[in-house]
Amino acid sequence: MVIQKEFGHLWELLSQIPDPEIPVINLVELGVIRKIEEKPDQDKVVITITPTYTGCPAKKLFNDLILEKLYENGYKNVELVSQLHPVWTTDWLTEETKAKLLKEGISPPTAENKIIQCPHCKSTDTRMISAFGSTPCQALYSCNKCLEPFNYFKCH
Amino acid sequence: MAITIDKEQAQFLVRLADTEMILGQRLCEMCSNGPFLEEDIALSNIALDLIGRAEQLYILISEIEGKGLSADDYAYRRNEREYFSIKLVEQPNTDFAWVIARQYLHDVYVKEIFTQLLSSKIDKVAGLSEKVLKEITYSHVHARDWMFRLGIGTPESNRRLQAAVDHLFKYAGELFAFDSIDKKFLSDITKLEQGWKSAVALTLAEANVKQPEIHKIYMRDYREGFHSEYLGHILSEMQFLPRAYPDAKW
Repeated sequence: MVIQKEFGHLWELLSQIPDPEIPVINLVELGVIRKIEEKPDQDKVVITITPTYTGCPAKKLFNDLILEKLYENGYKNVELVSQLHPVWTTDWLTEETKAKLLKEGISPPTAENKIIQCPHCKSTDTRMISAFGSTPCQALYSCNKCLEPFNYFKCH
Repeated sequence: MAITIDKEQAQFLVRLADTEMILGQRLCEMCSNGPFLEEDIALSNIALDLIGRAEQLYILISEIEGKGLSADDYAYRRNEREYFSIKLVEQPNTDFAWVIARQYLHDVYVKEIFTQLLSSKIDKVAGLSEKVLKEITYSHVHARDWMFRLGIGTPESNRRLQAAVDHLFKYAGELFAFDSIDKKFLSDITKLEQGWKSAVALTLAEANVKQPEIHKIYMRDYREGFHSEYLGHILSEMQFLPRAYPDAKW
């Protein structure tokens, strides 16, 4: 989600970086990039990042991927600022991003984890297998109709 | 004066950070040892949360202390007596009931603490607390759910849970032996103690587990750096690599 119109070229660059664990969406869509500032006088770019979960193992990789992408495009002096507050929330995922997740087989977050749709047959008759899945932000579900298992992106 | 306050603030946060770090390490031991695959993944996920939380706290402590130490320095370069984790979280993974009961008793305690820290004067502590409260809900619900399943499951699962609770309650007393530092940074210690006791009593009753008495402390307090026999073993394993290879990084 683009929360800021300034420095569009930098937002564009960062939206080319796929989430390492959920590659169908990029870091901008995931909502972890909160602010970008270019300071031409100091020849510097400052990027504010809000982690999804404090213990997310991809946190460090996010930083490396951002630095790499910017370096390749000529931005050598980049400062990354980690900001916990306001806390990351799945409310920052746009409807477009959620549709993308569903299409790729990950059921997108819904309010209070209530109505959860099977990404395969689109039935909402589903059940939780485990609140903890393959990444900190996902839970394991199974569809009662088509019986297929799937990942659900937890509302957070 | 300002320096004293900072020192006490850091000391208060170290207790919390160390408690999360050590429980995270304990749960890491369960990785690949869970009773079934989904549970294995759940415990490993919770371990990640705990370690991530400890890391954020160490970063904050470092900012307060201003000695330029990293989260690694705090986690890996301190000995037993320099650790301030509660004894409850050092207790071993004797069986699955111990893992669950320990987690449940811890989650209720820490949830109460972070709820009170939402009104901390330090913005970053309040912000982190908001984050933690969101994350810990999953762990708390998970642990409580298992308390019921084990407690009212079979006579054997009930017996095991009762044994775990009986053992772990020995370490409940020190949770509420608040000192002047706790009193300074927690907004309401009575509420913390009552909140924990009533939530735990309710869960134990529903899980058909007899609640043991909470004894006064008969061991020296964790707030002074005293631990059960287990902490040294945990640290020796956890710190081996960074001590053997001092340049190793996360």
